Amino acid sequence: MARRPPEITVSIPALPRYVHVLRAVVASVAARLDWAFDEIEDLRLMVDEACSRLVGPEGGAATLRLRVLVDDGGLTIEASTDRSVDRWPPEDPGQTLSRQILSTLADEVRFEPVDGRPSVLLRKHRDR
Amino acid sequence: MEAHPTEPLDPEERDLFVRAPEDPAAREALVVRHRPLAEYLARRFQGRGEPVDDLIQVAMIGLLKAIDRFDPDRGVKFATYATATIVGELKRHFRDRGWSVRVPRRLQEMGLQVSRVVGELSQVLGRSPTVREISERTGLTEEEVIEAIDVASAYVPASLDAAPGEDDAPREFGVEEEAFELLEGWTSVAPAIRELPARERRILYLRFFRGLTQTQIAEDLGISQMHVSRLLARTLARLRTAASTAGAFDREGAEG
Repeated sequence: MARRPPEITVSIPALPRYVHVLRAVVASVAARLDWAFDEIEDLRLMVDEACSRLVGPEGGAATLRLRVLVDDGGLTIEASTDRSVDRWPPEDPGQTLSRQILSTLADEVRFEPVDGRPSVLLRKHRDR
Repeated sequence: MEAHPTEPLDPEERDLFVRAPEDPAAREALVVRHRPLAEYLARRFQGRGEPVDDLIQVAMIGLLKAIDRFDPDRGVKFATYATATIVGELKRHFRDRGWSVRVPRRLQEMGLQVSRVVGELSQVLGRSPTVREISERTGLTEEEVIEAIDVASAYVPASLDAAPGEDDAPREFGVEEEAFELLEGWTSVAPAIRELPARERRILYLRFFRGLTQTQIAEDLGISQMHVSRLLARTLARLRTAASTAGAFDREGAEG
């Protein structure tokens, strides 16, 4: 009988070169739940896009935290950072683009602070 | 102030450097001006196992450092100074990632195998296969399949980057162009989208405007699903870089 982990949390340094760890975690969780190859690839793109909004420049000491919540209906991914930012959601030119990309890939997208931390919340329904 | 014998900086550029510390617009103008140098240098580091868009991002960081540190009174050409800084940044990037620059042969082979089987199974099943199905077909463990997917999407053999052939000419060029101009968000990267190779632009269009899945796009273009996801990931990374300098693009006018 498949064990369904209700929640997985991983923390990495909030730097671009560690994001691949989070991509791999999400891919691994989805694969174990028998998600299709192209859904997994979409999840990886989502993680990339969301994390690109949260990571900081090289040399920063902040942490990026990813929580994956599994339920029968799909996956909820919450990425957040303790990096201090002026404004959340950000208002740079990349923001509308990010939102557009994420809303194509995910079923729900929210840029909201969680516990006062800048975060991106994504929900992807199970297709099959 | 007397002219330097070799006149390393034209007055306009000099003025930009003088203003740059206080004036973001001047700094951005310098970024736009010298961006081709950063891209050129990034491409010289291609084929070492890092996606070229990552390299361009690293080179852009080097360029920003060079702009911030350059002293226009030193009598050195900015290009000379910036080249050293950018190459230094690129080398450091490779050094920092030393553990991942070289992909073990075993992983490369697994990547190719998984890529082939995904194509075969998609044909047979009429849908995208699951990792378990790929695992059963290849005899690899599920972990290995996941690892192979990860590796394959980051490390693309140079041959796959070959210039697209005649067949890749866009069939709905006008439609795609219009679509990107219409949607909020994408307008900021319209110049970058125009610069994309036809095939990348089409993949972007099919995924984000027509809502096709990666499997359907692979069929449409006659390339592997893994190649589609690789190109998509790379294209999005490229657009992110473009968006981060979009303010500069706006000021420079529509031409990218």
